[in-house]
Amino acid sequence: MRARVIRRAALLALSALVGVWALRATRSADAASARGGETAEVTLCDGQTKVEFAADAPKTAESGQKIADELMKKWREKNPNVDWEAEERTHHTIAPAADNKDLVGNSQSATYGEITDRDTQLWKTESERFVVAGSKVFHSGAELGSTIGVSCDMCHPDAANTHPETYPKYQVQLGRVVLLRDMINWCIEHPVRATPLAADDPRMRALEAYIYAQRKGTPLNYGKR
Amino acid sequence: MKGVETKYLESRDELLQGLAKLNRRQFMKVAGAAAGAALAQGILPPHSFTPVRVASAATGGAGDFRFAYVSDSHLYTRDKNDRFVRGLLRAVDDVNRMDPQPDFVLYGGDLAQLGRAEELETGAQILKNLKAPVRMMVGEHDWYFDMGEKWRSLFGADNYSFEHKGVRFVTINSVVEADFWTAKGLTPAERMGTVAGLDNGAQSSFTVGDANRAWLAKELEGVKNDTPLVVFSHSPLYKLYKKWNFWTDDAEEVQKILSRFDTVTVIHGHTHQILTNRIGNISFHGMLSTAWPWPYAPQGLPEMTIQMGRPDPFNPSDGCGDGEVTVHPDGMVDKLYNLWNRNPVTVSRAYMKSNGVEDRPAKPALASY
Amino acid sequence: MSARRLLSMACLLGVVFAAERAAAQASASAPHGALAMSEQEKRLDKLGLGSATGAPPARVVPGSWAATIPADNALTPERVALGRKLFFDPRLSADGTVACATCHDVSRGFTDQRPVSEGIGGKLGRRNAPTVLNAMFFSTQFWDGRALLLEDQAKLPIVNPIEMGMPNGEAAVAKIAGDAEYVKLFQAAYSRAPNYDDVGRAIGAFERTLVFLDAPFDRWSDGDKNAMSADAVKGFVLFSGKARCVTCHPINASNPIGSDNRFHNIGVSARHQDFESLASRALSELAKGGDSQAVMDRLALETDMAELGRFVVTKRRSDVGAFKTEQLRNVGITAPYMHDGSMQTLWDVVDHYNRGGEANLFLDGGIEPLALSEAEINQLVAFLFALTDVRFAAQVKGIEAAQRARAKTTRPFRENDLALRKVIPFEARVRGEKK
Repeated sequence: MRARVIRRAALLALSALVGVWALRATRSADAASARGGETAEVTLCDGQTKVEFAADAPKTAESGQKIADELMKKWREKNPNVDWEAEERTHHTIAPAADNKDLVGNSQSATYGEITDRDTQLWKTESERFVVAGSKVFHSGAELGSTIGVSCDMCHPDAANTHPETYPKYQVQLGRVVLLRDMINWCIEHPVRATPLAADDPRMRALEAYIYAQRKGTPLNYGKR
Repeated sequence: MKGVETKYLESRDELLQGLAKLNRRQFMKVAGAAAGAALAQGILPPHSFTPVRVASAATGGAGDFRFAYVSDSHLYTRDKNDRFVRGLLRAVDDVNRMDPQPDFVLYGGDLAQLGRAEELETGAQILKNLKAPVRMMVGEHDWYFDMGEKWRSLFGADNYSFEHKGVRFVTINSVVEADFWTAKGLTPAERMGTVAGLDNGAQSSFTVGDANRAWLAKELEGVKNDTPLVVFSHSPLYKLYKKWNFWTDDAEEVQKILSRFDTVTVIHGHTHQILTNRIGNISFHGMLSTAWPWPYAPQGLPEMTIQMGRPDPFNPSDGCGDGEVTVHPDGMVDKLYNLWNRNPVTVSRAYMKSNGVEDRPAKPALASY
Repeated sequence: MSARRLLSMACLLGVVFAAERAAAQASASAPHGALAMSEQEKRLDKLGLGSATGAPPARVVPGSWAATIPADNALTPERVALGRKLFFDPRLSADGTVACATCHDVSRGFTDQRPVSEGIGGKLGRRNAPTVLNAMFFSTQFWDGRALLLEDQAKLPIVNPIEMGMPNGEAAVAKIAGDAEYVKLFQAAYSRAPNYDDVGRAIGAFERTLVFLDAPFDRWSDGDKNAMSADAVKGFVLFSGKARCVTCHPINASNPIGSDNRFHNIGVSARHQDFESLASRALSELAKGGDSQAVMDRLALETDMAELGRFVVTKRRSDVGAFKTEQLRNVGITAPYMHDGSMQTLWDVVDHYNRGGEANLFLDGGIEPLALSEAEINQLVAFLFALTDVRFAAQVKGIEAAQRARAKTTRPFRENDLALRKVIPFEARVRGEKK
């Protein structure tokens, strides 16, 4: 019962809004028809996204919903990356970050207060977001800047065979002892044939994060070949 | 405890030293006998010089025939990526050098990388240079941009069968995926891009599917149980690792259709590595890619598989190659993996028949981990 | 003529003769085009050699250095002195004209700066003489690694029919055993009468003092930012990156010479070979001859099989046409390059790699076209010249100028279409097109 009331209220509100827009639109339609046109235009609150529709369309909740949907679709097309994290997660799973639940309720001192659920949630969400960003770069030749359409996952699906736990090690391909990011850059230069990234390039940092995350739980073993 | 390698080298040294002491007549007698013994057992010592054409001759006998395979080239157009084009050219060159020529060449699927017409055209143009006749098999990278339209126009039906020297060959489309793209409103390019990611979980699992299974059953109607059967399939027709679609979802049902035959061999692509399995009457052999190697899956590896060594990324073609299959009259095969810049590896009939006891291929120096 | 005038004329003549004699000595050749042995030894004295007691050289990890010295041949000044005398002694050859220093000439980068070496009777071999400088750091000796230690290597040319030509080790020892000086030196070095194994050991000990790792690159690595030119620094970056050199030519404190001690087919010998048939022939020759060192030596030097390289030793498919990665130290003064001396300048070497070597069935998979620009090639070459020990600075300056002049007019290995990946080497053949 309550749900139905809310739904109806929402619909009313929506149609009211659409009504207002329609009103504005009708006025412009009047202006347009004065010029000889048959369509009306609706502008989203960003002031940029516009949708046209027939001026004589019925002014029902349904047609209002259609217009609102189309506006949303257009806006999403212009802003494709707004849901990038969720989108990336539909393609690639990442190992979850530690949840630190056992720390909730502990306090260090008066200054820092108690560790709360909100804190642990924040830490986990942000850590995983960073790793998902790395997954995005890892799986995209375009993001890596490959000149031959090669991405890391072609030889390392799910970051297999990357062995981040073995660094620092003498890397035969580089003829010296290196860290993970040096080997990432070697791969970027040679198999991926892109320009090597600066050490503090956000893409490099994200790539490292993703590779470490996928190897969660493996004991460190530096130098292992 | 001496390793296999040490023992082999010691016995070889002994043999060579002994040979030096023989007179010419004795030497010729011994050499002939040794060569004959090696040929009969199909043994290829790991450190002998075995150029591809010599290796294949060694495993041949009366009633055998050979076909070559080239697979998983993942071509972009030439100006976009020269490396993959180079790989396919090299494979074609290898097969053309085979002496004698194989009976035919199987192309194992994934000719294109993103299913574009230009990519398929590029591949078709290169494959035209093969001297032997070619049998094409489709992979998911060829299919999901236009749902096989260009592939069919270039190469014909994705399911077909033929008979060759008493063996029935069946090629089947085993990369059918349940529709995951319509609900999401994906464009063809987005659909292909999703399928193109091995670890992309938004796609569905490979299946042979109801229609193709029905076709398979019908095609095999009337074929006697003792007819040797060889199935060409892009996906492995068993369940190895779902996340990477090293997997056929209706594998059990397909295997059921095949279970009445005495000897079935499945030659599959998609996995870009040495892969060997045996389930009941069916032997499964993977093919190498000409473009890049996959790592081994973290779980699900069949017991009979002896991994190829971990590839060195400094060599872009390490872990890649082409190969050939020698089919014996009983339908069992010797599968030769011609790994570029490495010693070739043969997974022989003796190995399969003994369930991995006899004639074990060499273990790799560096394993996947 | 007055007595005074006669005297002054005699003095003048004397001066002239003395000057001529001095000039003659300075350019006096030993046979086969080497500098006279005495002259070589004079130059050697001026160079400043490594420790004669086995102390590790600067910039090398002591443990790694110690690993290059075999247990039965620790360095002592006596052994080094004996080895030095043997190194410059042409009596060890059948006709008394060839010493180690003939092909490993002090004035020519401890090689002979010829494509292949000339032995007794003017016979030419098939291999370019590697330099002795820093050779102690290799895991194996010779281009095909058929000898393990310097000690082993030293004993082989002496008994090689086209190099120094002695019938066997005993004959070589017999030639010097009568020399009281040698008897004394052998006694001091090894407390034994002269014998062939000790000949090898002593030469090895002497060669271990030929450490030349003080190049502009080393000083730059130590912190002197002006030690290498800007071009050479850029060249080092390319060396470690785009040009892919460092994977087979690593230079670090444990392995300072720029060789991975492995064998790679980079296609040099593929320019004129049919590998498959050569390899089958090699296998049958080895089976007949019993796999001995002499057979391998003969194959390596005399026949076409020399082009099979490491394969003759290991009989492994991956070793067909494979040769040991040479060191890059002092490469500026050890032209010509490659196992057959077929490349005259470092520009030729870089051109060869830039185009992806020479395509052949057994080409090492790591060799691929590099797409280096002209500027990048010049930078790489500048870096390679900067690996020359500072003691040879004057010599390498002249050589660099000569190579640069030559490179301006002839670049026989340059192939831009291959380097830029516009053309794939075997594509025309595969497509059945006329090349």
